[in-house]
Amino acid sequence: MLIQLLKAERMKLKHSPVWLAFLLMPLVPALLGTLNYMGNIEILKSEWYSLWTQHTIFTCYFFLPVMLGVYCSYMMHLEHANHNWNKVLTMPVRRSMVFLAKLITVSYMILFSEIWIGVLFILSGKLIGMTGTLPLLSVMQWCLFGTLGGIVMAAVQLLLSLFIKSFALPVGIAFAGGLSGLIFLAKNLGHIWPYSLMAYGMNSNAPQQMMKSGYIPFAVICIVYTVIITTAASEVLKRRDM
Amino acid sequence: MMELLRCEFKKTRRRYITLTTLGITGVELAWVLYGDYNPDMLRTGWMMFLYQMPLYNALFIPILAMVISSRLCDLEHKGVMFKQLCSIMPKGKLYDAKLLYGLGMMWISVIVSWIGLILFGIVKGFEGALPIRLYLFYLLFTLVPATVLYVFQHTLSMLFRNQAVAFFTGIIGEFLGVFSMFLSQIPFLRSILIWGSFGVLQFVGMYGWTNETRMSTVYYEVMDIDWLYCVALAAAGMVMYLIGRKLFCESEG
Repeated sequence: MLIQLLKAERMKLKHSPVWLAFLLMPLVPALLGTLNYMGNIEILKSEWYSLWTQHTIFTCYFFLPVMLGVYCSYMMHLEHANHNWNKVLTMPVRRSMVFLAKLITVSYMILFSEIWIGVLFILSGKLIGMTGTLPLLSVMQWCLFGTLGGIVMAAVQLLLSLFIKSFALPVGIAFAGGLSGLIFLAKNLGHIWPYSLMAYGMNSNAPQQMMKSGYIPFAVICIVYTVIITTAASEVLKRRDM
Repeated sequence: MMELLRCEFKKTRRRYITLTTLGITGVELAWVLYGDYNPDMLRTGWMMFLYQMPLYNALFIPILAMVISSRLCDLEHKGVMFKQLCSIMPKGKLYDAKLLYGLGMMWISVIVSWIGLILFGIVKGFEGALPIRLYLFYLLFTLVPATVLYVFQHTLSMLFRNQAVAFFTGIIGEFLGVFSMFLSQIPFLRSILIWGSFGVLQFVGMYGWTNETRMSTVYYEVMDIDWLYCVALAAAGMVMYLIGRKLFCESEG
């Protein structure tokens, strides 16, 4: 059932250029972040770790949350338009699966973005002749846990877009959410606030340090959030007149 | 035109566009103003805001422009209303009315934020008199880029039914603009990007910061004001408006 729904989601997104934005956006920090690193090399002394901060600091606080907000809005907008919810909800599938299929589709895109950010990071470091050992395991961890945190953020955004029919409003909320994430991180509460989980997982402000909350508790928090939000969304789909 | 603006107002009733505008402005103000103000910051407060605000504006104003323009245009795209509207009124006038209405929201936001900064400075007790001339320059150098940005976003939102196109273009542009403000080694980058114009029109610089003394030795000074750039930006906005209007008039609608 879920696979069929995933195929349906893929068909809905066919020929849609949204993936292009996720391909282009990480090029900005890769290029300009590397230039900024090279311009401040006398201050940024931790080589690969410093380069990672330059690549990710704005990305995961401001721009990736907004991009996810737009993507989630777009996915829900397809159903809000032309009363498509009526067609979707009369299909012989469980309501929770409808939401889950959308979440998994967004998750692919988050994973793709994270891998692309990682690849560009390694390429940039090699191109500028970074001499230190590449922390490959750390890069993989940052990307993996960034994806996990991003999935929670996407789940929240999908839920918001389910309620709010406007395209733009959830995007504004995603932007405010990204800012709030920064505040929660500054107050050492990054591991519990949905909008800071991605930045927390990517260790963008202190990549040299191990994740304070530990990797397993972080993964558990992300999974719990995702389950709660998916359950809430399927209840909304069951009870609310869409 | 007044009639068309009234129509826009009626169409957007209960769509909370003004509330959204004020909400985003409120978040910006809260973000800027929150913090512990030590005596050094109170001493330099007025100039500090003039130094800091262009970066905050480069973050918030493009988002505001995307949200407002998309809200105003999406309601027509959703109901396939452009075809009907364009059969009862000239397309160019519709483009202008929506642009003016959206610009009104943008200007409200910029002015509210400007007044908020001044009131906060007075209440907090920033040292010295308010440098009103510099604050008027700042207002001008915020209104001009905000207007040009809005014209750009408005055109995209009017032309593309899929609002994701307008948003993704705006976000990538904003990202480039914000980054360009940190890249002093390539100053032309911020000049060629409309999102970087807040950086070019920043006319207060921060000096005297060191790792050891930090804020205690910091002082701010007025730098050269790039009037030519400001005029060129306004002209670019005008060209963008003419092209956008022409494209919309020639589009299927």
